[in-house]
Amino acid sequence: MFRIPCPHCGPRNRTEFRHIGERGSRPDPRATTPEEWRGYLYGQRNASDWTAETWYHVAGCRKFVTMDRHTLTNEIRPAAGSTATVTDDGTPR
Amino acid sequence: MARARYSALGLLGHGLSQRRWSRVWRDHDLEPSYDVVIIGAGVHGLATAYYLAANHGITNVAVLDSSYLGGGGSGRNTAIVRSNYLTPEGVRFYDRSVKLYENLAAELNFNVMFSQHGHLTLAHDDGSLRTMRWRAEVNKLEGIDSEIIGRDEIQRLVPFMDVSAEARYPILGALYHPPGGTIRHDAVNWGYARAADALGVQIHQNTEVLGIDVQDGRVRGVRTNRGDVAAPVVVNCTAGWSSLVAALAGVRLPISTHPLQAAVTEPVKVFLNTVVVSGTLHVYVSQTARGELVFGASTDPYPSYSMRGSLEFTEELAGHILELMPSIARVRVLRQWAGLCDMTPDFSPIMGITPVEGFMLDVGWGTYGFKAGPVAGETMAELVATGKTPEMIASFDLARFAEGRLVGEKGAAAVGH
Amino acid sequence: MTRSRDGRRAGPAEPPSHRLPPQPGELLDRTRPLAFTWNGRAHTGIAGDTIASALAAAGVRVFSRSFKYHRPRGIMTATFLDPGVTVQVGDEPNVRGAHRRLVDGMTIEAQNVWPSLRYDVRAANQLVARFLTAGFYYKTFIKPRQLWPTYEKILARFAAGGVVSRHSSPGYYDKRYAHPDVVVAGGGPAGMGAALLAAEAGAQVMLVEEEYELGGSLRWGGAPELAVLRELRAALEAAPNVEILVNSVVAGRYDDDWVSIVQRGLPHVDERLIKARAKALVVAPGLIERPFVFEGNDLPGVMLGTAVRRLVNLYAVRPGRRAVVLTANAEGDAAVTDLERAGVEVACVLDGRRGQELRRAIGRGGLTSVELADGRRIDCDLLVVSTGWTAPTSLLNMAGGQPVYDSVAARFRPGDDLPPSVLATGGLTGDGSVEELVGHGHAVGSAAAAQAGFGSARAPEPLPMHPHPALFRAGTHGMVDFSEDVTSKDLFSAAAEGYDSSELVKRYTTATMGPSQGKLETVNTVAVLAEATERSVADLGTTVWRPPYAPITLGALAGRIFEPVRHSPMQTWHVRHGARPLVASQWIRPDHYGDPQAEARNVREGVGIIDVTPLGKLDLRGPDVPLLLNAVYVNKWSKLAIGSVRYGVMCSEGGVVMDDGVTGRLDTERYLMSTTSSGAAAVWEHLEGVLQTEHPEWQVHVTPLTTHYASINVAGPRSRALLSRLTDVDLSPEAFPYMRVRTGRVAGVDDCLMWRIGFTGELSYEIHVPASYGLHVWTTLLDRGQDLGAAPFGVEAQRILRLEKGHLVVGQDTDGMTSAIDAGLEPLVKLDKDDFVGLPELGWAHERPNQPRLVGLQPVDGRVVPAEASQIVRGTKEIVGRITSSRMSPTLGRSVCMGYVAADLAHAGSTVTVVLPSGQRIDATVMPSPCHVDPEGRRLHA
Repeated sequence: MFRIPCPHCGPRNRTEFRHIGERGSRPDPRATTPEEWRGYLYGQRNASDWTAETWYHVAGCRKFVTMDRHTLTNEIRPAAGSTATVTDDGTPR
Repeated sequence: MARARYSALGLLGHGLSQRRWSRVWRDHDLEPSYDVVIIGAGVHGLATAYYLAANHGITNVAVLDSSYLGGGGSGRNTAIVRSNYLTPEGVRFYDRSVKLYENLAAELNFNVMFSQHGHLTLAHDDGSLRTMRWRAEVNKLEGIDSEIIGRDEIQRLVPFMDVSAEARYPILGALYHPPGGTIRHDAVNWGYARAADALGVQIHQNTEVLGIDVQDGRVRGVRTNRGDVAAPVVVNCTAGWSSLVAALAGVRLPISTHPLQAAVTEPVKVFLNTVVVSGTLHVYVSQTARGELVFGASTDPYPSYSMRGSLEFTEELAGHILELMPSIARVRVLRQWAGLCDMTPDFSPIMGITPVEGFMLDVGWGTYGFKAGPVAGETMAELVATGKTPEMIASFDLARFAEGRLVGEKGAAAVGH
Repeated sequence: MTRSRDGRRAGPAEPPSHRLPPQPGELLDRTRPLAFTWNGRAHTGIAGDTIASALAAAGVRVFSRSFKYHRPRGIMTATFLDPGVTVQVGDEPNVRGAHRRLVDGMTIEAQNVWPSLRYDVRAANQLVARFLTAGFYYKTFIKPRQLWPTYEKILARFAAGGVVSRHSSPGYYDKRYAHPDVVVAGGGPAGMGAALLAAEAGAQVMLVEEEYELGGSLRWGGAPELAVLRELRAALEAAPNVEILVNSVVAGRYDDDWVSIVQRGLPHVDERLIKARAKALVVAPGLIERPFVFEGNDLPGVMLGTAVRRLVNLYAVRPGRRAVVLTANAEGDAAVTDLERAGVEVACVLDGRRGQELRRAIGRGGLTSVELADGRRIDCDLLVVSTGWTAPTSLLNMAGGQPVYDSVAARFRPGDDLPPSVLATGGLTGDGSVEELVGHGHAVGSAAAAQAGFGSARAPEPLPMHPHPALFRAGTHGMVDFSEDVTSKDLFSAAAEGYDSSELVKRYTTATMGPSQGKLETVNTVAVLAEATERSVADLGTTVWRPPYAPITLGALAGRIFEPVRHSPMQTWHVRHGARPLVASQWIRPDHYGDPQAEARNVREGVGIIDVTPLGKLDLRGPDVPLLLNAVYVNKWSKLAIGSVRYGVMCSEGGVVMDDGVTGRLDTERYLMSTTSSGAAAVWEHLEGVLQTEHPEWQVHVTPLTTHYASINVAGPRSRALLSRLTDVDLSPEAFPYMRVRTGRVAGVDDCLMWRIGFTGELSYEIHVPASYGLHVWTTLLDRGQDLGAAPFGVEAQRILRLEKGHLVVGQDTDGMTSAIDAGLEPLVKLDKDDFVGLPELGWAHERPNQPRLVGLQPVDGRVVPAEASQIVRGTKEIVGRITSSRMSPTLGRSVCMGYVAADLAHAGSTVTVVLPSGQRIDATVMPSPCHVDPEGRRLHA
């Protein structure tokens, strides 16, 4: 069971978290078309690759956590563009 | 090419003479072009190929699979067949599949071992019971045998079930569907493959599609690890990897791929004759004629392409199974595995044409793909052969998402089995 | 004279005929004899015996009948995996007889035989074996279709496996979390060496051994091996940071070195599942001896070399009287020595290293002779075969390592692709003397400790692989999978038919899919397939190894099944007063107290109280709460005054109704939101999601208060009269109008909150009491309201009341696809707001004007109460709607419903057809509004 490095709690079992979804950009609801909006609602990249995701630490600090996860190996690394790093034992810095 | 028919007499003859049976399917070199290329040699791809040949006389067909045939979802599912769905379109669609399955052994001359022992979906609260009633009523209107039964009847069908009021989640009733049951999934794959091969279809195992050639908005062919193939029609039947394959043609799908795990025990004397599903407890169980218990639950709650099993799956599963049948604690789990499920927003498949001309989809099969193999093959073959989308699959089109026309099957796929 | 279940005549218990004098390494405590029965016949064994060794000592040769052909089977491997000695012990099926220790008083029976082990009728299958090749059932039973169920019942009779009874005792299982630095899987010489040095480096070590004692192959060795064993064992037992678990097994290794261990042999616990987050895992399972494939290789009397060594040295059992031995390695050679020491006549030794071969084993019901390659026949009752080894690499495979075939050693070995935290040692990795194995273990143990942060030792080079002849199959066909009765001939046929890859041949013949999980069968299957398809074993590779490494009971996986229950502080009162429980996921609530119709009438006519504690409650504080409310609800919240309450509906981004409730403003920056009880957790998460991921700039704090407050709804025309007796908050209609909130003291309890809302459609006050005072306030209301007829009402009565008023229940009158527009909530949806969840889909709803609408319905015959989910049809079967809520209304004395109907039927006065579950069709009228009682709401605003 893989672990997710929570920025507040350290590396915790996956079962403490709820998967929210791929991080995508939400179109402006005032300016969007049905096709674009529904593309955002229903379309995900769904790649077998590094994926930008959000998880919710439901059985812990109740923070929403962002990261990149490889959907085939379940390896995790800090979200692209973030300043967070992870030490060898999985503790975020 | 003369192909020996399977039969008890044939078994006798071969047994006496010790003659070898003929090969079930042949190996071929890859031709430079075909009329139709089907990507994915699972039950959907093989059934589509079979019906193209059998119903429409189209035999210049290649079915390509990156691994051994039937090795994807078709070889990993728990082989439950039923038609007790929620929407009238769903019921009609899956019932057609049940009817095809009932005659499949005779049609393919291959025993697919369809055991229609009955299918029970338990309701542990009145919300579930209401949903079961909804399904029963829709089923009955469509002429499908489904009914709500009470605790006494459930106990009679499943003597090992705890139907007492002392259970943590007491059973209130169940949706009983007598024509439902289990089938030997490998036999279905092999039966379709053998029959398609006999009609001239080419099955190419260990042939991975690396690219799809699209020019001017239409498909021209595919590139594989064994060479390039030209084809005016390419059908995506790759459940579990359909987003990746569609991406090769530049088509984005509203799909999220999740592992679905299953486990099997060592054999014990047969004590369970129906398929039992509990939506509340998120588990289901059936027992094979060999005595093994086959279990499953819901998909893993996060997308992944990993087919490794997890410990927490078997832990949760075992806990819920023992809540239903407390006396089987000593039975041992022998192995667990996973397959990949392409989940759509409305728990219904995506079938038909795409914006890329000639590139067609038979995807989005979630946790209900195997039971639809025959009807999907039949309707996709009709679409490919005639160019017209059959009425039965019209509401499963890809365009429905952009147009806000989602199908309402979520209530029927609580655990998806 | 009676026959026991093994078919032999019953008589006085026979003294063990095959027991040897005491052996230096034996596990027996000869001072403790044990009594047991086998198929109804009494026997004695000795403490330390396994079931198999005790029976073998008593001269039993046939222990079971095989799956398909019901061939007699005896001891072959004398290990956990032995396919011939699976037995039923009391009500426990599938007990591995060669592993399980004998216990005094055990009742042991053969499985799957009828009428007896000796005279099993289904053995007739053997006569038709040539017709019943693997996969024969795919080729037959095709027609007539109607007979398939009958064929299947017959096939099921042959199913192997013991009996599980409906009344089996559930047993006790629990779990444990552990955080060891190093887990060592396997307590043989290398494993013990690894555990020792990892511990010396300072690591906390768990050493897990499947057998009942440490030592592995050292246990049946000679004096030098036993000495090494004693030394290692003493050192480990003295080490304070080594936890030794015997009769336990590492069952799986998952992502991030999450390791599952099944621990057995604890007093009072049947099995314990240990879940360990290890820093390093050392895999040292040794090697499994591989059977040889030849005709007759499954006859009782055919054993592997290690089986013989175990029987003689550990259990002092003489395995036969006259033996033929085929040996290709040192272990087989040592077996010869053991046999001679045990007084067995060794008639012939064939050396597989020098090309000497046998052809077949002959016998009926047991071995009687062996035919050599040159045609000679030698009479014997024991054939010992030591022709090779299988490396059990499963745990490494689970860690992502692919095994590599070494053709010089004729076995697989670990590849170089393991993660740094998973190390292998011992026979699994190569060959050597005892000292070399222990030494390699030492080095790996140090490296494992370094991986865990103790020291800096590096992993050693793997042990060398010594040459071993590649002996898989003699010239004849024999069993490859003993549990599934799959022969090498079956594999050849399958391959010829086209099932020619490892995966296909496995699925077609079922080889490797039996209870030994492929450990005895996989390599031979691959080797025979390679032979049949003229490829190499290296090319074919092995099939995927799937967890668990060893079979685990459902009980151990489940542990103590924790299903927490939640109930309000008043639940004990409800139970004592006859409440029927309603299970609403985790909450247990009172459904009714005997007569829900009467309870509902009492609310309309007098005053009733209901416990609504499970209602979700969230405290919202901060200057930006109105922004949050506007974002999550479809209606407007900026101008909610202090002391006011408003009803709101939340939708998903797809416009689907998600939850509803009321939110009140208690102070400038303090609000209380209520949600449905089943939606409480999801709404909290939703609010946090908006605040953390969309608008981190908003200053809002959310605190869940669901369990902080007990909640009581006091409803009915006399509710003001009742409540005013308990509080000095001014309840007059001018001071406390409808949809307002007040705080104050109720029944002497401070900090209670009251709001006037109207789910039931009556004058009503919902009181939120600090939870520890809930029961006090509840009983006080009933005591003080006796003369007013105050009585409790349950969830069922509340459902009736709200249905009479046409109030929808999210999740019942809406489903996973219902938009706010479809549910008749359009007036609430304010599209001119800034961004909110549900925009823009709700704005596009006009594009689908034909969606079914939620309406009120009344069956024309008011005595008929249609079942909820009854369908509404047009013509024979065109479905145009359904009933979502339906009850007999005590207020109106007729049935009332809510449901969906097609847009063109959804106007007041139209008649629709409802199909009842019986099939009967009735007419129902669409009402002007979903509200059936007091549509102007006069009672509400009293």
